[in-house]
Amino acid sequence: MTRENFQKLSAALLLIVSFGLPLVLRSPTYLHILILLYLYAYLTTSWNLVGGFAGVLPLGHAAFFGIGAYTSTVLFLQYGISPWIGMVLGGIMASIVGVIIGLPTFKMRGAYFALATIAFGEGMRVMVENIDYLGPFNLNGPRGLQIPPLNVGLANLMFVNKEPYYYIILIMLIAVLMLTYTISCSKLGYYLNAGGEEPEAAKALGVNVARCKLIAMAMSSFLTALAGVFYAQLTLFIHPKSVISLDLSFEIAFIALIGGRGSIAGPVLGALLLRPVSDFSRIYFGHILPGLHLIIFGTVLILVMIFQPRGLQEPLTKAYHRLLDRLTEKPTEKE
Amino acid sequence: MKERSIGRKVYVCVLAFAFVCSMAFLADRPALAQPKAVKVGNILPLSGPSASVGQQNRYAQDMAIEEINAAGGIKSLGGAKITMLYSDSESKPEKGVAEAERLINTEKVHVLTGCWNSAVTYPTTAVAERYGTPFIVPVSVADKITEQGFKTVFRIAAKDSWWTRDQFVFLSDLQKEFNAKVSTLAFVYENGDWGKGFAGGWKKLAEKGGYKVLLDEPYPSTATDMSPLVQKIKRANPDVLLLVSNAADAILLTNTMAEYKVKPKAIIASGGGHADPSFLKAVGKNGQYLFDIVEWETDVNKPGVKEINQKFKSKYDYNLAGESVDAYIAMYVMADALERAKSLDPKAIRDALAKTKLTKGPAMIASYDAIEFDETGQNKYAALVMVQINDIGKGMERISVWPKGARRAGYKPLFPVPVR
Amino acid sequence: MWFIAEDLINGILMGAIYGLTALGLTVIFGVLKVINFAHGSLLMVGMFVAYWAVTLSGLHPYLALILVIPIMFFFGYYLQDIVIKPIFKAEKDVREPITVIIVTTGLWYILDNLTLLIFGPQYRNIQDNPLRGKMLEIGGMFISVPKLWGFSAAILTALAIYWFLQRTRMGRAIRATSLDRDAASLMGIKQYKVYNIAFGIGTAAAGIAGVTLVPFYNVFPSVGVLFDIKGFIIVVLGGLGSISGAILGGMIIGVIESVGPQFMTATWTEGIVYALFLLVLFVKPSGLFGVRYDW
Repeated sequence: MTRENFQKLSAALLLIVSFGLPLVLRSPTYLHILILLYLYAYLTTSWNLVGGFAGVLPLGHAAFFGIGAYTSTVLFLQYGISPWIGMVLGGIMASIVGVIIGLPTFKMRGAYFALATIAFGEGMRVMVENIDYLGPFNLNGPRGLQIPPLNVGLANLMFVNKEPYYYIILIMLIAVLMLTYTISCSKLGYYLNAGGEEPEAAKALGVNVARCKLIAMAMSSFLTALAGVFYAQLTLFIHPKSVISLDLSFEIAFIALIGGRGSIAGPVLGALLLRPVSDFSRIYFGHILPGLHLIIFGTVLILVMIFQPRGLQEPLTKAYHRLLDRLTEKPTEKE
Repeated sequence: MKERSIGRKVYVCVLAFAFVCSMAFLADRPALAQPKAVKVGNILPLSGPSASVGQQNRYAQDMAIEEINAAGGIKSLGGAKITMLYSDSESKPEKGVAEAERLINTEKVHVLTGCWNSAVTYPTTAVAERYGTPFIVPVSVADKITEQGFKTVFRIAAKDSWWTRDQFVFLSDLQKEFNAKVSTLAFVYENGDWGKGFAGGWKKLAEKGGYKVLLDEPYPSTATDMSPLVQKIKRANPDVLLLVSNAADAILLTNTMAEYKVKPKAIIASGGGHADPSFLKAVGKNGQYLFDIVEWETDVNKPGVKEINQKFKSKYDYNLAGESVDAYIAMYVMADALERAKSLDPKAIRDALAKTKLTKGPAMIASYDAIEFDETGQNKYAALVMVQINDIGKGMERISVWPKGARRAGYKPLFPVPVR
Repeated sequence: MWFIAEDLINGILMGAIYGLTALGLTVIFGVLKVINFAHGSLLMVGMFVAYWAVTLSGLHPYLALILVIPIMFFFGYYLQDIVIKPIFKAEKDVREPITVIIVTTGLWYILDNLTLLIFGPQYRNIQDNPLRGKMLEIGGMFISVPKLWGFSAAILTALAIYWFLQRTRMGRAIRATSLDRDAASLMGIKQYKVYNIAFGIGTAAAGIAGVTLVPFYNVFPSVGVLFDIKGFIIVVLGGLGSISGAILGGMIIGVIESVGPQFMTATWTEGIVYALFLLVLFVKPSGLFGVRYDW
C-alpha cells in the first residue's frame, strides 16, 4: 500500500476509534479526563496560530477564554440567550480585543511581547474581579457566576451525561486541526511563517507581516473564546481566578511548546502527554506529599526542554516516518 | 559525550513514565487496593495558597477516623472500617470537579467531604448531586452552598449570613454591657468570594443598626504592603473595625496596625485567617484585645474539649481551631449516619444524614448542643462564639466571651480598648 | 492633604525594596536575555535562608547577609551552570531562547513545592529581632525602621553592582556580553562563565532582598509568587538591564501603591499598576531609563 493510502487509512481509523470510544468505555471519569484533554488540545492548537505560526509567545490567552465564558454566561443567565449564540458573540468580542491587543504588541520583540500579554491577562482578571456590574451586565466580581442545571439539552449546551460534551469537543478539535492544516498550506500560512522567522526579508518581499499577524490573532482569540463557552457549560461555574488565570495561560503555552509549536501535531501531542502526567501525579501523589505532583511536573518540563527544545513532535514525527517507510512501498521517483 | 548519554537515558525513562501514565488511564482502575470498608473521598487544598488550612482539616479528620476505627468501626455494618481518600484541589474548581468525578466513579466512594474554598465547593457539590453521593461540607460558609436546592449536601458550619448577623448582635450586646456607644464603622475585607460576601451582609446590618460606615475597603489578599491601607483606617478613625482576612494578610495587617498605633475601640475579625494557629504565634502582643468570631474555641465549656484538643496538640504542635473542629465533627456526624443507615447505599446514607439528631458523643465538643439538618441541608443549630485575644497570665490566648453563656468563667472582656 | 507626605515616604522606602527584588531580575535579563520566571522562588529561598540563619544563630538579621550572599550566589551560579546552560548550548543560534522560559518556570514549580514539602505551609516570623515593629516618629509621621534599613540595603546593593559592572574586569566582560555576545566571545570572553556569574549576582541580589523583608514579613513557600509579577513590571518600567531603572521603577510602583489607596480602593490600585505597565510598554518599551538595545 502506498504511503498516502496508509496515512489516509490511519487517519480514518483514528477518527473511528475516537468517535467510538464512548460506546466502549462507559466510565464518566475516563470521559471527563478525555474531555479535558481534548479541550487542552483544542486550546493549544488555537494558541498555535499565534504562538506557533506567527512566532511570538503570547502568555495571556486565558483572557480570551474568560471573555468567551463570561459573555455567554452573562447573556444566558440574564437574557436566556443560548450558549451557541453566546459562542459566536463571545468569539467576536474576543477577536476585537485580540486585535486591539495585537496592534501595539506585535511591534514588540520577544520578551516584551510575552510580558505585555501577561499584563493584559492579569489586568483583565483584576478588572473583572473588581467590577460587579458592567453597565446592565452582572459580572458578580470574585464571587463568580453559577449556571443552574435546568433546561438541559442541545439548545442550551447543557447535558447530564458526559457523552454529548465529549462529541462536541471532539468535533471542535477536529475542526480546529483542519483549519490549522488549511492555513498552513495557504498563502497566509507561508506569510506567517516567513514573518515569524525572518521578518525583514518577508517585508522586503512585500508581505504585510503585521496584517497577517493580526489576522492570526483574531482567529486564535475567536477560537479560544469558543472553548471558554464550552468550559462554562461543562463545569457550570466560572469565576475570574478559574477562567482568566495566569496558570491557564502558562499551561496552554507550555503544552504547545513542549509538544512543538509551529507544527500541527505538536500541540495535540503535548496535550496528550502532559495532561496525563499532571493528572496522574496529582491523583497518585497529591495526597501523599503535598506539592509532589507539581515537582514532578516541573521536572518533566525541564527535562523535555533540555533534550528536545523544539518539542516532542520532532522525534516522534521522525519515528513515525521511519515506521511508514517500513510499512509502505516507497513512492516511485517522480519529482 | 558520556554525560549526554546518561541524560538521554534519564530522559527516555521520563518519557516512558509519561507514556505509562497515559496508559494507566485506559485501565481505569482505582488507585488503592480495596479491602471491605466504607470509602470516604475528601477534597481539600493540600497545595497552593490554602495549603495550611487544608493540612489542618486533614489532620483533624484523620484523628477522628482513627478514633472511630479503633472503637470498632461502623458496628451496624459488621465493624466496617472507614478508609479516607484525600485529593488535592489546589484550590481550583476544575480540579475539585475532576477529583469528585474520579472519586465517585473510579474509586466508588460512599461519601464525599470538602472542599474548604467555597469556589471549589459549589461546582463539586453539583457533581455529587448528579450522582446522588452524599456530600458533607464541614467548613465552606457561602450561603449559596445550601441554597442550590440540592438534596445531597449537608453543611456543618453556620452560613455566612449567620456570621455577620452574630457579629452585629455581639456589637450591640457589647455596647449594652459596657454602656459605651459605637457610631462609626469601617469594613476592611479580602477581595474574594468570602470577603465580599461578608461585606454585603455588613452593609445591610449597618443600615439597620443606624451605624455610619466610614470606610468600605476591599483589598487584594496578596498585597505585599499593608501600610497604605492601615493609613486609611487610621485617618478614617472608626469606632469599630470589622475585618475579613486570610492568614498571611491577617498577620501583616495586625502587625502593621500595631506599628502605626492604630487603635479603634474594638476590632472584630471573622475567623479564617485570624483563627489560624500561626496567626497568634506570628503577631504575639500585637493581637491583644482583638475580637474574633469562630465556630469554636479551645475553652468551650463542654466535656471532652480539653482532652481532644490536647491529643491533637501533642500530635501536631498546634491547637484545634474552629475549622478543624468542624472537620472533626463532620466525621462523627458521618459515622453516626452510617450506623443508622445500616447500609452503604447512597440513598440510605443520605436519608440517614437528613434525619441526624446528634446530641451526644465526641461530636459534641462543638460550642452548640445539637446537630440537626434543615430541609436545605444546613445544620440548624450551628452557632458561633466570639473570643477576645488577651493575656491573663498564661501568655496570649483566645478567650471565649460571647454569648454570655459561653463566656469563660471569671473573665471580663475589655472594651473599649485602652488608648496607650 | 499633608498626610500624603507620609504615604509618599512609605512608598519610596517600600518601592526601593521592590526595586531590590527586581534588581536580580534586571541583571539576569540584561545579560542572558532571558525572563527568569523562577525569580520569585529565588527570593523565597533567600528569605528562608535568612530566616534559618537568624533563627539558628540569633544574629541581627542584617548580619545574616554574611551567610546569605555567598550561599545565594553559588546557588544561582550552579543553577545556571547545571540546569540552564544546556539549553543555551542547544539553542546556540537563537537570539532569545524561549525554551529557557519554560525551564525557569519548571524551576519555579520545583523550588516552591520542594520547600512546601520540606518545610510545610505554615507562616513563619522572626519574633524577637531588633528591627521588628520599630517606627520612627517624626512630626506626627510614622516611618518604618525595617523599611529604612531595606531602603539603604537597596541603594547600597545597587551601587555595589553598578561599581562592579563599571570598574572590574569581570564587570566589563558582563557588559560586553550583554551588548553583543558573539563579538564578546570573539574577544576571548568566556560566554558561559559570564552567564554563570551574572546569574549568581542576580540570585544574590534576591537573597539580599529576602533579608530586608524577613524582619517584617511572613516567610512561607509561596511568598515568592506575590513579588514575581511585580518584579517584571518594575523591570520593564525601569528598563531591562538598567540598575537605576530597577530601583527607580520600584519606587514608582511603591508610591502608586502607597498613595493610590488614599483616593480609591487598594484593589483598583492594582489595576492602575497594570495600566501603567502597559502604557510604558507601548510608549517607551525600552523603559524609562533603559537604553535601546538591539533586541
